[in-house]
Amino acid sequence: MPVLSINRRRAIVLLALTSVIFLTLDLQGSSATSAVRSVFGVVFRPIESVARVVTRPISNSWYGVTHYDDVSSENRLLREKIAQQEGAAVAAAASVRLSQELLALNGLPTLAGINSVTAQVIGDSPSNYSQSVEINQGSESGIRVGMPVLNAAGLVGRITRVFTDRAVVMLISDPEYALSVKVVAAPESTISSILPSEDFGTKVTTTVLITETTEAKPIVTSTIPGFTPGTTSIPTTPSGITSLTVPSNDELAVRETGILEGQGPSRAPTVRFISADQRFGEIKAGAPIVSAGGSMSLAPPDIVIGVVSRVVARLGTAGPVLEIKLVADLSNLSFLRILLYQPITERSSP
Amino acid sequence: MNRLLLIAGSRWTRLVLVALGLLGLQTTVANELRPFGIMLPLMLLFVVAAGSVYGSEVGAIAGLVIGAMYDCVLTTPLGLASLVIGLSGYGAGLLPYFVREPTWWSRVLAVVVMSAIGEIMFPVIQGIIGFDGWLQSRVFTIAIVAALFNGALALLFVPLARWTLHEAART
Repeated sequence: MPVLSINRRRAIVLLALTSVIFLTLDLQGSSATSAVRSVFGVVFRPIESVARVVTRPISNSWYGVTHYDDVSSENRLLREKIAQQEGAAVAAAASVRLSQELLALNGLPTLAGINSVTAQVIGDSPSNYSQSVEINQGSESGIRVGMPVLNAAGLVGRITRVFTDRAVVMLISDPEYALSVKVVAAPESTISSILPSEDFGTKVTTTVLITETTEAKPIVTSTIPGFTPGTTSIPTTPSGITSLTVPSNDELAVRETGILEGQGPSRAPTVRFISADQRFGEIKAGAPIVSAGGSMSLAPPDIVIGVVSRVVARLGTAGPVLEIKLVADLSNLSFLRILLYQPITERSSP
Repeated sequence: MNRLLLIAGSRWTRLVLVALGLLGLQTTVANELRPFGIMLPLMLLFVVAAGSVYGSEVGAIAGLVIGAMYDCVLTTPLGLASLVIGLSGYGAGLLPYFVREPTWWSRVLAVVVMSAIGEIMFPVIQGIIGFDGWLQSRVFTIAIVAALFNGALALLFVPLARWTLHEAART
């Protein structure tokens, strides 16, 4: 008997053609494929819910056996961290609010001016070759394709597919993910200290810039432990006399922009297209990475993404490649915040 | 009416119903229990088991149908899983051409080999259609873990595939 009979050839041709047609339609962004997925979702959702209920004891037993020790130690660690950060969080929130008010006052875009929707993660992508999660909010809540998604720590990803009551979030670690970001310079430490002012009987903040970066040992101007506010100006002049403080260029945060790209679950995301000659000198590990913003960007500016974990130098004018340690733990997502900010590039999408 | 009953009782209807149940398991328990961080591909397992029992044609068609259903819950392009799982089912169906009288262990072996190949084919075809970045060394870890677990689960899935796709005797 020949290896390929007529029937088998037909089956293979049918298989290949159908799959290629599906692929072509989907890659062209055909609405037909979205409709197929939506209809299948309606049929499959109840079956999945039943399967989830039935298999929950199995999952729970598995987690109980394999993760009990990890969960216990993690719980202890988290309690300690919460205790440490409780005070700092209150002060930080006040500082952030003040910063947002100042930005708003100056007509600069802030995250506070963007409405958001909170959603819960209801499932991961059932594949080894996709980095996405599904959330329980969809177009009914105003969610659209392209909107940035955050958790309490920072940027998590963006919306790639929207249904009526659910949506799919592509995570930053997906190789398809790309976003313009900026590296904020951190080489110069700003140390603030409060000195008594003999003239006016008030406390004056002086700012000292040190050129050598060492392990940040904050000198605290707040009484709240662990919280180091930024440079603060307190008027030194008596009432009735106004003064205008203009920071010199040296004191402004210098930034370098690049493109952040996901590298899959087992590799750290990288930032490319950083200029070979950085304006603020050599980029060092620990420099913060935030979204760059801009009219064509997929996210508003200044969303925290992570810090530089490694700088890979390259020859010539290519500029370094930065490996990023994300602030958000993508392996443990529960509640997410979707900014109702749709990039211009995604406006035509449903 | 008779025709409708014939369709309802056909092996392909049974395949769709069983596949829906399997997809439910795939998106819930198999997706959560990830041993060594790897998700076990139950849909692929069922198709290669079917291919090893019923041959290339049935394996390919079962792969097309199940892959298309799987595609509907994935975020990768529609048709990708269909193509990969279909090819894997076809490959598993070539077993009778290599082994005159397949035994249970030769079927398990076919499942192991085709599961590994199927898992490697995913990122390869993904890359071919423009979604590159997934072809990393991790792929081999995925293939090995998935193949070994699928080999163990094949003892359950081969009888399931045999029952699902058996052709009723015509009266």
